[in-house]
Amino acid sequence: MHDAGERFRPFEHEGMYALFAEIRQTVPVFYAPEIDYWVVTRREDVIAVLRDHERFSAAVATQAVVPWPPEMLQYMVDQGFTNESVQVACDPPRHTRIRSHVQGFLNPKKLQSFEAEVRALVQGYIAAMKGQESIDLVDALTYELPARTAFLLLGVKDIDPRRIKKWTELRVKLMHGHPTREEQMAAADDLLDFWRFSCDLVEQRKVNPGDDYPSWLLASRAGDDSRLTENEIKSLTFALLLAAHETTSNASANVLLELMRRPDDWNALVNDPSLIPNAVEEGLRYVSSVVAWRRVAKEDFELGGEHFPKGTKLLLSLASASRDESTYENGDIFDIRRKNARSHVAFGNGIHFCMGAPIARMQIRMMIEELTSAFPDMALITDEAIEIAGVLTFRGPTRLPVRLIP
Amino acid sequence: MDKQKITFQFISANGESQEVEGLTGETVMQVAYDNGIEGVAAECGGSMSCGTCHVFLDEASFARIDAPSESEMDMLDIVSSDRHATSRLSCQIKLGSDFAGAQVHIPESQY
Ligand code: HEM
Ligand code: FES
Repeated sequence: MHDAGERFRPFEHEGMYALFAEIRQTVPVFYAPEIDYWVVTRREDVIAVLRDHERFSAAVATQAVVPWPPEMLQYMVDQGFTNESVQVACDPPRHTRIRSHVQGFLNPKKLQSFEAEVRALVQGYIAAMKGQESIDLVDALTYELPARTAFLLLGVKDIDPRRIKKWTELRVKLMHGHPTREEQMAAADDLLDFWRFSCDLVEQRKVNPGDDYPSWLLASRAGDDSRLTENEIKSLTFALLLAAHETTSNASANVLLELMRRPDDWNALVNDPSLIPNAVEEGLRYVSSVVAWRRVAKEDFELGGEHFPKGTKLLLSLASASRDESTYENGDIFDIRRKNARSHVAFGNGIHFCMGAPIARMQIRMMIEELTSAFPDMALITDEAIEIAGVLTFRGPTRLPVRLIP
Repeated sequence: MDKQKITFQFISANGESQEVEGLTGETVMQVAYDNGIEGVAAECGGSMSCGTCHVFLDEASFARIDAPSESEMDMLDIVSSDRHATSRLSCQIKLGSDFAGAQVHIPESQY
């Protein structure tokens, strides 16, 4: 018998990797009573579940871990909160229909076309850091930049990225955190503001279309509800206002933290920037910002030698999977030259594979490129504790204090 | 029908070729994966959702095997590396005897 279920603290990130490292060999799956999910620890099983959308539904992927109080639900409905599952938490055929529209915009080629604009954004943030001796990289770079990139995709201008970040954090907490009832009720109005912001954006594009995501979706809908409804487009916009930056902020800070902890690796990147793309992949593998993702079984199944009934909820530990020794030699070691780093599952797998992966990678790569070039001697200020903020699914440092010049 | 062995080649962006063997019914992506071929990332695991398993075939093989489906053609429009006349998604090519001897070129980058 093992005690993984008692020891696993789903909302706390301190010690999570160590626990998985200890149990992965012997415990492929265990029950976590605090959340009523079964936790899957091995890469092979995680990928098998993600790829098997026939038997495992994504319906629970973004479900509130702590259900909303009925009064809150009612209030939201009364106030016109008509957000619906459109992508990451829905199954075929609905998922297939919607993804085929989204793919016209969120695809590798289109995302690459933002390269020059993203580069200019990164350079702007780096320029603003110059002249300072020390800085918090989260505050100065990783927190805001991905939101600005999201604005590029959405054609949004003149909005304070911090406004979106605050809304997003609230939404993440409501979905994947464990808020108190008071916190839930207090969040309702802010969440409504966030929803209305997304709706307004779509309404504006109906009048003034541009070369942006909501405009693309509206054109792709071509006024036909059987293709895509307006409410679906509003929900897609609402979703992108979260998906396109929250994860990237965390991921870039995670990678930078690991590099700062290892001055030799940082120097290697300073001296040979061609190592950067693989360092990004290794960072995503070693500490992904999405540590876990959820599925629910549509029928009885077997996993790790055990039988499970239909309705079983699974928490797929992407964190554990990406360090699984059966694929990654010394998986708990950070190695910027690791050959198979890119086979991590940080972006999921199967039909829901992350649609923003190319631009997420691009941003992290450019941040490292510009930082290594502007501040080759950048070093962690080690006497300041670094807090890792975590909810069930996401993980990232809240601060990353560094000295920019020796 | 018994599975047959099919032999073909992967050719990397810098021209190195490697002969590999797969079984009928397997996809070119699977064979790449099983043989540790670099440059075929295939990140969505063959569900035609990522475009990172893009390859180019030699003309004769491209013409010989079944044509790509419409959704594969759509995906090929949006892959990151330039599309060629003989571009395919390796996760959508199932090995058959008509694939024997094919040359599968790997693009420089799938990012
Ligand atoms: C490092 C940053 C990122 C990480 C770690 C990440 C991770 C993920 C994961 C784990 C999934 C679910 C995959 C699955 O269920 O198999 C996902 C889905 C998705 N991501 Fe990302 N993501 C990142 C950045 C982005 C960005 C920048 C965008 C948009 C520009 C984006 C858009 C999406 C969308 C639209 C989906 C839903 C796809 C679907 O359900 O079909 N992501 N992402
Ligand atoms: S493996 Fe993703 S499209 Fe082929």
